[in-house]
Amino acid sequence: MSEATGLRQPKKASADLFRKLGVEPVPDNEKVQEAIRHLDDFRFRVRSFVMAMESCVKCGACAEACHTYLGTRDPNNIPAGRVDLIRKAYKRYFTVQGQLFPGLVGAQDLDLETIEKWYSYFYQCSECRRCAHVCPFGIDTAEVTFIARQILYWLGIAPQLHAATAEAILRTGNHMGLTKAGIEDTLEFLAEEIEEDYDGLKVEFPVDKPNSDILYVPSSADFMLNPNTLKGAAMFFKYVGANWTISSEITEAGNFGYLSDQSRIQREMVTRLFREATKLGVKKIVWGECGHGWRAAKMYPPTVSDLPGVKRIPITHIHDEVEAYIKAGRLELDPKRNDRKVTLHDPCNYARACGHSDNMRVIMNAVVPKGAFVEMKPSREANFCCGGGSGILFDDPDMYQFRILASNKKAEQVRETGADTLCAPCSICKAQLYPMVKEHKLPVEVVGLIDLVGHALVFRD
Amino acid sequence: MDLIIGQILPYTAAVVFIGGVTWRIWRWMIPRIVHNITLSPWPASWSAAIVWILWQFATFWNLLKFDRPLWAGAWFMHIALFLMLGGHIAAFYTVGLQFHLMAPGIITPEMSLALSDWIGTVLGLIFLVALLYLLGRRLVNEQVRNISSASDFLHLFLLIGIAALGNIMRLFPDYHLGYAPVREYLAGLFLFNPQPLPDHTLFIMKYTLVMTLMIVFPFSKLMHSFGFFWERWIVNRPYKEPARGLPGARLQLRK
Repeated sequence: MSEATGLRQPKKASADLFRKLGVEPVPDNEKVQEAIRHLDDFRFRVRSFVMAMESCVKCGACAEACHTYLGTRDPNNIPAGRVDLIRKAYKRYFTVQGQLFPGLVGAQDLDLETIEKWYSYFYQCSECRRCAHVCPFGIDTAEVTFIARQILYWLGIAPQLHAATAEAILRTGNHMGLTKAGIEDTLEFLAEEIEEDYDGLKVEFPVDKPNSDILYVPSSADFMLNPNTLKGAAMFFKYVGANWTISSEITEAGNFGYLSDQSRIQREMVTRLFREATKLGVKKIVWGECGHGWRAAKMYPPTVSDLPGVKRIPITHIHDEVEAYIKAGRLELDPKRNDRKVTLHDPCNYARACGHSDNMRVIMNAVVPKGAFVEMKPSREANFCCGGGSGILFDDPDMYQFRILASNKKAEQVRETGADTLCAPCSICKAQLYPMVKEHKLPVEVVGLIDLVGHALVFRD
Repeated sequence: MDLIIGQILPYTAAVVFIGGVTWRIWRWMIPRIVHNITLSPWPASWSAAIVWILWQFATFWNLLKFDRPLWAGAWFMHIALFLMLGGHIAAFYTVGLQFHLMAPGIITPEMSLALSDWIGTVLGLIFLVALLYLLGRRLVNEQVRNISSASDFLHLFLLIGIAALGNIMRLFPDYHLGYAPVREYLAGLFLFNPQPLPDHTLFIMKYTLVMTLMIVFPFSKLMHSFGFFWERWIVNRPYKEPARGLPGARLQLRK
């Protein structure tokens, strides 16, 4: 718990860090007014926000749908309750009934205490959209979380993790702050590993190669945490003989801007992406394994950027391409190499925002032996979040404890499958599931999907 | 009394209801749908999207799938409400002869009146029972009680009041009021030819509650009946995937 507020809150970024990001933190005595001004602005701009504010009937169907509520049993973590933290002020200032009868309709003046609650609870929401999937109206709580986090950011309130990542993005174009030298170093090492592990197979990892046809955008976390995902992608490109490259300017499939500052950092990432794609002359951008980042890259560029490249250079996910090659019968795969009992965790953004439920299964069934793949219950678009969605991967003891609580449901699901391998093709899921598996004592190895593809590819040259 | 409840209030309620609903929807139309935030798997086309939205509307599909106990109350309550709204209009307009007018050769006027009575009675009871069930749920279920405010209960009380009065007038002959006097009075309102309110206490009570509901409607969560379509229009829309295949690769999808 935060000592100052008694709420579960991640460590806040300092004022100095915010200034580096171009945001002057708003003094406490002006925060409330400023927040109201921003709310007033959003209600004339974003319809998904207004409908979430004005359509809820408080039926409670969302409660049992939210893994955060299931893990914490805190009424403010019921999606409708969480949104109410903003809705109470919205009603108070922007509706007739809230101005006339605040007590009756549950309207409330905004105060600093509530803003602290926003910070606590909108950073416990993982923007997984399971509530939108379950809500009879389709009210999307993630839309409110986006706006709450944006307003907090403008006030100068954000987790250290998100602000530091934003700063790394501005500096290097990736979350981990990797430099070109570091990137090349790691990739060289991975190429050697592949050569050793796969009978002298020579795989190249081109970086910033001009006149490439394909720009592959991996998650920067893959360089540290999930190297097998990078290897799998490189082996696939090698197999199909693609003229591909990684850009050191945008070595990032994720987009933390999308999760805390959509107004600037998210745009910055999109701008960088198309600047680099244009510079390298690529004909197609292929995305690596990252859930929120893939949603930000697939669904948002046309509406966050008016750069000409956005309309001209198509973006697909590496799963899309692998699936198409498998369906066309163009890949020789040996499922026996992945002889293990594997289950698939559908990353929220893939399943509920990007339409990937099918392609992940086409790939999975082609790379593991028949009968080795067990479905979780529920799965696909009804799947539960890993508990780390939207980058709430905080390490301070209190928040770490929360992450483990928020993954209770996931642990239960995984245990029921009896699998020994948990495939989670998303960087945030992986980063959340490594510790989750340990804390919940699950006897599973966490892997990516492309890892399994690379491992099963049969090279005959 | 007759002037205020019988003549002034009805027009006020109608103006507030129609004007208020229009104003709310007008306001919803000002902010844009900024990004495509469709929920996947998304519908293949706009027509498929509309079919899906109407399917959700007619069946309360999500509740049926994810919260069966809530569905049991909510769906029956709403279906009964819709059918009764239609029934009230038809029955008062035709003085209970609606079924006779639909199939004159088959259904006699007497049969039509009996049908109207029966269907109305059954729906009225379903409506009341479903409302009481939903009220009970809101009180007993801790999660729902936690997120409820006073107005959530008041809306239920208002509807329960209307349903209860209607059922009393329907079930107890002493309190019954036929179609004809109400029709005469309502016709007066529609034709701006004022007619006195039927002299019937329960009717006047129920009628006042209905007008209260109309006035409250645009300023409450009852707007969800329209909000449903505006919200679903945002989250259930088609998306076109870019073509697959890697340009310039040695191995192409087609040989």
